[in-house]
Amino acid sequence: MNNNDIELNQQLGKTVGNPLVDGIPRMSCQSVDVFYNQDLQAIFNVSVDLAKNQILAMIGPSGCGKSTLLRCLNRMNDTIDGCIVTGKIYLDNEDIYTSNIDPVLLRAKVGMVFQKPNPFPKSIYDNVAYGPRLHGLMTNNSELDDIVEESLTKAGLWKETKDRLNKPGTGLSGGQQQRLCIARTIAVKPEVILMDEPTSALDPIATATIEELMYELKSSYTIAVVTHSMQQAARISDRCAYFHLGRLVEVNDTNIVFTNPEHGLTENYITGRFG
Amino acid sequence: MNIGQHISQEYNDELEDLRNRVLSMGRLVDQQFSDASQALLKGKIDLAQKVAKLDYKVNAMEVAIDEECAQIIARRQPAAIDLRNLFTVIKVVTDLERIGDESEKIARFASELSTDTKSMNFYKSLKHMVSIAKAMLADSLDCYARLDSQKALEISRMDAELDAEFENLNRLLSTYLLEDTKNIESTLKVTWCARAIERVGDHAKNICEYVVYVVHGRDIRHIDDKSSQDDT
Amino acid sequence: MNNTQIVQKSLKKRYAKERRFKIYGVFSIIVSLAFLLFLLVDIVLKSTPAFTQTYIKLDIDFSYKVLNIDPKPNYTKDELFKSSYRNLISKALYQLFPDVSSRKQKRALRKLISSGAQYHLRDLVIERPQLIGTSQSVWVLADDDIDTFFKGLIDRNLPEADRRIKDIQITWIDKLQSKDRIKRQFNASFLTSGDSREPEQAGILGALKGSLYTMLVTLLLSFPIGVAAAVYLEEFAPKNNWWIDVIEVNINNLAAVPSIVFGILGLAVYINLFGVPRSAPLAGGLVLSLMTLPTIIIATRAAIKSVPPSIREAALGLGASKIQVITHHVLPLAMPGILTGSIIGMAQALGESAPLLMIGMVAFVADIPQGFFDPSTVLPVQIYIWSDSPERAFIALTSAAIIVLLIFLFLMNLLAVLLRNKFETKW
Repeated sequence: MNNNDIELNQQLGKTVGNPLVDGIPRMSCQSVDVFYNQDLQAIFNVSVDLAKNQILAMIGPSGCGKSTLLRCLNRMNDTIDGCIVTGKIYLDNEDIYTSNIDPVLLRAKVGMVFQKPNPFPKSIYDNVAYGPRLHGLMTNNSELDDIVEESLTKAGLWKETKDRLNKPGTGLSGGQQQRLCIARTIAVKPEVILMDEPTSALDPIATATIEELMYELKSSYTIAVVTHSMQQAARISDRCAYFHLGRLVEVNDTNIVFTNPEHGLTENYITGRFG
Repeated sequence: MNIGQHISQEYNDELEDLRNRVLSMGRLVDQQFSDASQALLKGKIDLAQKVAKLDYKVNAMEVAIDEECAQIIARRQPAAIDLRNLFTVIKVVTDLERIGDESEKIARFASELSTDTKSMNFYKSLKHMVSIAKAMLADSLDCYARLDSQKALEISRMDAELDAEFENLNRLLSTYLLEDTKNIESTLKVTWCARAIERVGDHAKNICEYVVYVVHGRDIRHIDDKSSQDDT
Repeated sequence: MNNTQIVQKSLKKRYAKERRFKIYGVFSIIVSLAFLLFLLVDIVLKSTPAFTQTYIKLDIDFSYKVLNIDPKPNYTKDELFKSSYRNLISKALYQLFPDVSSRKQKRALRKLISSGAQYHLRDLVIERPQLIGTSQSVWVLADDDIDTFFKGLIDRNLPEADRRIKDIQITWIDKLQSKDRIKRQFNASFLTSGDSREPEQAGILGALKGSLYTMLVTLLLSFPIGVAAAVYLEEFAPKNNWWIDVIEVNINNLAAVPSIVFGILGLAVYINLFGVPRSAPLAGGLVLSLMTLPTIIIATRAAIKSVPPSIREAALGLGASKIQVITHHVLPLAMPGILTGSIIGMAQALGESAPLLMIGMVAFVADIPQGFFDPSTVLPVQIYIWSDSPERAFIALTSAAIIVLLIFLFLMNLLAVLLRNKFETKW
């Protein structure tokens, strides 16, 4: 550890605020470190809880490790060579890294929505039906139809697409594509939905519909969202986590973070000041 | 906490400008109140007229500052310290404008009372209230300028003293009323003045409380002093 | 001079440069098109004689005596097969020109007719035995020299010693022509028979089928192996591993190895070591697979790389396993690119002759191959063999064979385009 790191650790210290929640969290990270190729540490000792039916927003400057942590939550980092995760991450009190949970099963329970809308080059129906087919969640075609309709309805896309389910999903507008991706994710009936900058490629109106959708989904799912837009984090999240250089600086109720953050770095970031 | 500069220099300038305008409005209101109290205590009618004139200026400043606040909120979506600052500006400006109104009221009564020789008897007790209120107002503006939350808490405690003075004066005035019913009119006017001075103290206290809010993010209004002292 | 003027001054120059560049481009396209057109026209013109053939009408007397068989109601195929049919033709010819008497002239007269004509008669008799004992007018194939002369490709004004056709033969041909006993007809046998030393009997079908079988072997071997190798290297192989790097470098180098080297390798390994039959499409296909593999692997890897990572992530995020991601998404999306690469590789293999020389596919094979193990030749080798032959008529055959090869290539490319469109228009 060089001098810079020591100084940084002194400045960053322990996470302030309330990283833990009352009761049993849906997911919980405890002392998570992430390394890329052994010598490059991306995340330092992060502990944070995801409360049930709440939205946790992760904010911070680029390269602060928020996306890395998000991708640890459903082990998407496994696909990156040389990525090592230490510490414990629990989903409903089961450690997803050491217990017998298969990554494939885990990803069925912890769905993910990505930055760029990425529907498969298939029909709208096939996009939504892909997950259920993959996992064999239905016994016959009418059940699959029901799942598709339910998921599209939940994603607020049913009215717009019910007459063109066989049209390609890539022919939809950007916002519709992203809602299709959300519908595809919830068709697998996950417990947690991870969103990696879900609206960064969308216009404000499409963004607003996605945000509204997230608010509605909150009652059935636990959501973690990485966002570059502080206003978005302020609008949609229940709790907000600020990351800086791989450290979790502050976690707190969004109301507190945006009116009276405890840590100076958080204050600087959300008010748009030089750190 | 090391709070840096905004990345946007224009935003910095806007906030700085806003702050300067609030402070100059504060100076104006302070001037108004001291003129009004001079007029009352020394019967200087010309000062009373000056207070009334200044009030237009104060009102215009309030409107201008409010508008600038609205623009900053709309364009910058301030958060955290900036949000608290802006929020406080809006509140402080309202309180300052009220102090201006109270000063104008005092000045009006001063010009009416200047012809009434009897009322001179009450000036002694009013003088004490005025000095407390003046000190509170000046100090609260000073606190706001320096964002000194420690001092602000002290000042807000002075309000109790002012309230006690007001009670004393009320008791004194009721005895005058009992002595002679001819005193009713002038006594009532003096009561109104005392009431106005007491209100100025309240507004000054509010300003101090906002300073605490800016610095610590805690709203200490309507909590008794003891607990707020413990928390901060 | 202000900036506007400076810019305006240079603008003229810039636009002139642009125009010049356009002109260069158009010029190059015109030049290349001209070359292509010249090539095509030349080949088509040269090949036309090959698509017609000269026939001569003879009155054949299928008598028992000449056929040297006894009259009886039924004949076995074997009996008819053994008879001599050449005499039928000779007799008919002597009958037609009764004034020919000398041995030398008789031989010249017999040479009017192709040596393959007797087999034609044989087949005719075997097919319809009732002809025996009757007399029939039959159009029989003329010899290639007669054919060439009749098509006007031999100048009759040349001194007799300088041409392959004698004066007397010319008078006979003129006589036949005046009697309407000689004509040109579409050369169906070019497309239905195998190679022959006699140009008038030589056909392309043997080489065509040989090419087809060879290509099938190449495709069946190199496509699955190439795609599988590319998928492994792109999706499964550990990154930053030195021996994977070595493999990659070697695959890229293989694509640049001269093809004759593969032929030597094929000769040493396949034929000498594993005993694969020489000259067979199997051996050819195996050798060409070696050549095609690097092309397919490189093209497939590029196609797989171009599949957006977001699609992979989406599938992984839904809980697809790695192999599901590959089979459900990566390969279908990469398929147009893979097909393009494969067809390019196959087209290269189709036009390749050098490695096949090494494994004996350059041999003269008259029989049409019926499977992967029969000796055969392929189109480019056939072209090479014919172009090397002395007879005048082979010039036309060579050009015709080139046209067949080009059509084969064109069909393959068409297939590729169709397949690619099918996969692409999915969306």
